[in-house]
Amino acid sequence: MAGIASFRRLERRSNAPPLFAFATVLAAVVLFSHTIVAQQAEQPEGGAASPEEQTQYAGSEMCQACHEDIFSTFQKKNPHAVVETQPKHGWEGRACESCHGPGAKHSESADAGEILNPAKLSPARTDAICLNCHLNTPTHVGRVQGGHAKGQVSCVGCHPVHHAVDGEMAQRRHSRINAQCAACHTDVWASFQRPHAHRLEQRAMSCVDCHNPHGSFLPRNLQTALANEPGCFKCHGDKRGPFVFEHAPVRLDGCGSCHEPHGSANPRMLIRHEVSNLCLECHSNIFSPTGATASGVPGGIPTGFHDLRSARFRNCTICHVKVHGSHVNRDFLR
Amino acid sequence: MKRLTLIPLLPLLAPLVPAQEQKAESPAPVQEQAASGTLDVGYRWVSDVGGNWSAYRSVVNLNDGFRVLGLDFQVRDSKKKLFDTLTLFANNWGDPYNVSRLEAERSGAYRLTFDYRNIAYYNFLPSFANPLLGQGNLISQRSFDMRRRLWNSELELRPGKRVIPYIGFSRDSGFGTGITPFVATANEYPVATDLDDQTNYYRGGVRLEFNRWHATLEQGGTTFKDDQRVFTNDRNLGNRGVPLLGQTLVLDRVNEAYGIRGRSVFSRGLLTAAPAKWVNLYGQFRFSQPRTDVRHSADAQGLFVLGATRFFNGQQILNSGGAKQPHTSGNFSVELRPHARVRVVESIMTDRLHNGSSLLLTEQFLFAAAPNETRTLFSADRLALNYNRQQADLFVDVTSRLTLRGGHRYEWGDSTFRPATLNPSGLPENGELKRNVGMFGFNYRATQRLSVNTDYEGASAGSTYFRTSLHNYHRFRARVRFQARTSLQVAANLHLLDNENPATGIEYDARNLAGTLSFQWNPANNKRVSLLGDYTYSSYRSDIMFLLPPFYTPAESRYRDNGHSITGLMEVNLPAAGAAVTPKISVGGSMFTSSGSRPTDYYQPFGRFLLPLHRNVACYAEWRWFGLSQAAYVFEGFRTHHTIVGLRLSL
Repeated sequence: MAGIASFRRLERRSNAPPLFAFATVLAAVVLFSHTIVAQQAEQPEGGAASPEEQTQYAGSEMCQACHEDIFSTFQKKNPHAVVETQPKHGWEGRACESCHGPGAKHSESADAGEILNPAKLSPARTDAICLNCHLNTPTHVGRVQGGHAKGQVSCVGCHPVHHAVDGEMAQRRHSRINAQCAACHTDVWASFQRPHAHRLEQRAMSCVDCHNPHGSFLPRNLQTALANEPGCFKCHGDKRGPFVFEHAPVRLDGCGSCHEPHGSANPRMLIRHEVSNLCLECHSNIFSPTGATASGVPGGIPTGFHDLRSARFRNCTICHVKVHGSHVNRDFLR
Repeated sequence: MKRLTLIPLLPLLAPLVPAQEQKAESPAPVQEQAASGTLDVGYRWVSDVGGNWSAYRSVVNLNDGFRVLGLDFQVRDSKKKLFDTLTLFANNWGDPYNVSRLEAERSGAYRLTFDYRNIAYYNFLPSFANPLLGQGNLISQRSFDMRRRLWNSELELRPGKRVIPYIGFSRDSGFGTGITPFVATANEYPVATDLDDQTNYYRGGVRLEFNRWHATLEQGGTTFKDDQRVFTNDRNLGNRGVPLLGQTLVLDRVNEAYGIRGRSVFSRGLLTAAPAKWVNLYGQFRFSQPRTDVRHSADAQGLFVLGATRFFNGQQILNSGGAKQPHTSGNFSVELRPHARVRVVESIMTDRLHNGSSLLLTEQFLFAAAPNETRTLFSADRLALNYNRQQADLFVDVTSRLTLRGGHRYEWGDSTFRPATLNPSGLPENGELKRNVGMFGFNYRATQRLSVNTDYEGASAGSTYFRTSLHNYHRFRARVRFQARTSLQVAANLHLLDNENPATGIEYDARNLAGTLSFQWNPANNKRVSLLGDYTYSSYRSDIMFLLPPFYTPAESRYRDNGHSITGLMEVNLPAAGAAVTPKISVGGSMFTSSGSRPTDYYQPFGRFLLPLHRNVACYAEWRWFGLSQAAYVFEGFRTHHTIVGLRLSL
């Protein structure tokens, strides 16, 4: 609870404009980094080699001499084979060394210690190698917000460079995508074994239909639809609106405020077993004459004739049929 | 290309050609196979479903018949005339959840993807929102028998080059029938409904991919329609079981039509850059502006009530309106590496959504013994949401095996929306969000065989939008992976979320815990037996105070769900001397059982036997069992056996 208390203190102090705080932090970090970087040696995985470094490279043909099996498989089935010929990133004829670093010494000594093995580096350093070429693609625009980058899950954790199945660096079949995600997210996969769940078990969907494993500006790596809408609306376009009368939680807290999308024992993947409980947990505020509620949160109370002793009134969506938002009725009755 | 034209037939022809002859025909050195793939076809028998057929269809929804269960086909054209690679895969054709995907690519020229899904949505669970359940009526009043069809296509030109234009088109449509209540004052009548909605997405853009920066500019638009019809011509007494002031409210006929049309434009601008070796920049700007036009009409006949005492016999409604929702989002992040072991990430994000709408309602009431009454009502509504987030993270590689990370996130925002029906002020309500979140975690890679990853978030909120929003919360995640031997890997996951809102009248306390233990054992590199399994314990507990109508009595809403899930798979390769493919037996499945507010048992075991008939042909037989039982809703249980016999053809 000490942590909570300190955050509360911080909360009270957080009246300063956040943009100012952001700018201050950024300026300090930039100044600091300039000082350090000026003294720093070039990193071996820091991009295409300078002319003086060229002599440290052996060339892919030299690699092939000893690693014939890897080389031939790579040329035939690995999308990275284009690095060998494509001038885009400047690694023509040195595709192997674009990831493994200069190999001249290793080719002379055959010592494994003389060559870089990305699989044995820290995730951040492994990623830095991949991002030399892949950073500047739309895939990675949300990378630093993504859970994988924060959780030190490196690129090769999901994209095995030398062991791609059927030559695919990224899985495309739903069953394989799901198996790959479930290998780590076992608790999430267990939710799909519940009776009411999205159809992943039937291979009609995959995890990446809803989540972008490379990161997103939305929470939980959620995919987006139509530029900046939650990815749920890709398939549930009828719930998107805009409605004349919006149900505020759908926009403010998202679909997850009522649904458990990974699977539930409750019908319609609801987070409560009875509809009335789900609704009344929010719609239980008493207003003061000024419109504010005692608890300080907005939201309504049910009207007086809703007698919850009758089953008729315990099933809110029987009358409030357009609970996701209505085009014609402010109380979502039609 | 002549060889390619025969490729689709090869799986069918292959069994007819003895293996010896095939070898004799190709004395040349073995080359890369131009085409490869598998085709699974079979026939499924579903035994008589015991229990509730509607629940079975709502949950499983598979039935008898011939099925193309899987198709996975890839062609590589070494001459690279039309394409380098063509990939086609499809699942479950004939079943209610069928999908297919086609990908074609020619390096440096184009990449084409086409994805199609046809997913049935059947939901007819008697227990859901059924006010007549206590009277033994098992007809759900909120039911759907629909299909959602989605297809997505994208053509990318010059992939791998520096300037990559692309265009795309997607369609999401839903259509079908259902039951929905027609709601009138003091009574509601379950009637038939037709649903038909469709959204088309068009987009085009260009990606500029250079060594030090990338930018994507995209412009798109949508069209939308939602045509729902609600109708009946049969007398309907509705859910009200008793007369009102001596009169029985009744619906004789209704015809209600929604004609919603929508359109939108949207734009995206994405940027990544690495201006120096120690800094990466990420930014995105997204804007969308959907709008809808509303036409709605209803014509109902029967006996209805207006106010509390005035009875009328007919009602005609005409609604005309529209809504517009500009939505702007932006995000900028900088990743700095001031030292080889240190990374700093600073990120700021904003999301602004405003919804403005208006509606003109014209209603006419037809009285039997009085002149008709017409009234017109104009209403306007507004919803505004402004959300902002600033986050700073620090990552330190303490050693090559240990990475520490910490950070702070501040989220703030405000919202405005229409007042609740009984809000005495009648003024728009305002919500405010202020939340500080502290984060800490570490990643420890003791060896290549053992890794531990943990994450902790602790948050304190000055204010949140809703009673059940994340307020003061702790979230903890841990993941351990250990490869005990080359053939044995075990992993454990733990996830805990504890959320509290102590405000008087709310007193919300929710805790979600999930823990998993899993293993994978492949002795002798899967030569004879492989085994994998996992066990998950999950519990969800929620307590919150609420007001129980009609007297607003303070009460506590309690929800409990304690679940156990087990999934497992064992595969045994049987000895088969000289066979290219070995016979295989697979057994496994999943089991879920829970106690709490809605105790549930759901079992799905299966067994499968694969027997190779030829190098390219195998036959298989599969058995599955589905069983659902819920102690509080016994009438909703079902159980059934599925048997599939089929062929797997491979190329």
